[in-house]
Amino acid sequence: MGGQACVFYGAAQVSKDIDFLVLSEAENFARLQAALETLQADRIDVPPFDPAALARGHAVHFRCRAPGVAGLRVDVMTRLRAMPEFTSLWERRTTLVDDEGVEYHLLCIPDLVQAKKTQRSKDWPVIELLVTIHYRQHAGEATDEQVDFWLHEARTPELLVELCRRFPTQAAEVTASRPLIRLAQDRSLDELRMALDAEVRAEQARDRDYWEPLRRELEQFRREHRDR
Amino acid sequence: MTYEQLPDEWKEWLSLSPLERFARGEQMLVEYIAMGGSLDPDPDPTSPFDIPAEWRPDVAHGRAGLRLLRRGAG
Repeated sequence: MGGQACVFYGAAQVSKDIDFLVLSEAENFARLQAALETLQADRIDVPPFDPAALARGHAVHFRCRAPGVAGLRVDVMTRLRAMPEFTSLWERRTTLVDDEGVEYHLLCIPDLVQAKKTQRSKDWPVIELLVTIHYRQHAGEATDEQVDFWLHEARTPELLVELCRRFPTQAAEVTASRPLIRLAQDRSLDELRMALDAEVRAEQARDRDYWEPLRRELEQFRREHRDR
Repeated sequence: MTYEQLPDEWKEWLSLSPLERFARGEQMLVEYIAMGGSLDPDPDPTSPFDIPAEWRPDVAHGRAGLRLLRRGAG
């Protein structure tokens, strides 16, 4: 998931770290532990590698020492804010396989877009690009589900206007859940830009609210670690 | 942006297959490291994954050992 998935989809060119979303089961943690040992990955900072902490939404951070990956940062999570459980995300994942049979399992683009709705400013242009890429790939034979996804997640005024022109019935239905679609229907581009910015700020505030208790807990973990 | 608004370089990137993009991304990372690039995450106080203790003063943002030679006016 994260930056590497964006490289696969074309919304980024390189990523310096790897984020993994994993199934929270004892057997799976054992496999993960074995993989981390192969990478000579040392846990850094807090929280501890504890399923309970992961279940609350924390990420556990590692840095690798194995030749070829020395210095690589790996982050592991088992849940994502406002996202379904791992099993649902896994069912609709994208799987790629290379010539050597190595499989790459990625969040599907709609799920990756949700995962990228963070307080970090740099994630929002990536969302815009992911939706643009998805639209270009599927615009020719769009399903209702895809049209719904674009109407809810497109972040470019010009694209939103085009979507309202091409899919007027679905656009009218989406106005209830995304009022700024009305501005796209009216082609009020300046107001639409302001509404899109407001949408980002509101989502960033929700992300900050989600992480605030987790940040406090991290500070507590750090204090306990220092006092030990 | 719409696809038509993307720079040509980015359109070229999108014309590759996902596995080609991954391979090129890996290659760029190898070259970046060979040039002395750091794998330290970029400092980002807005990220919940940001670990200030991991910031190393001897490693400039995204580069190895960058140091100030001349401070500009102002």
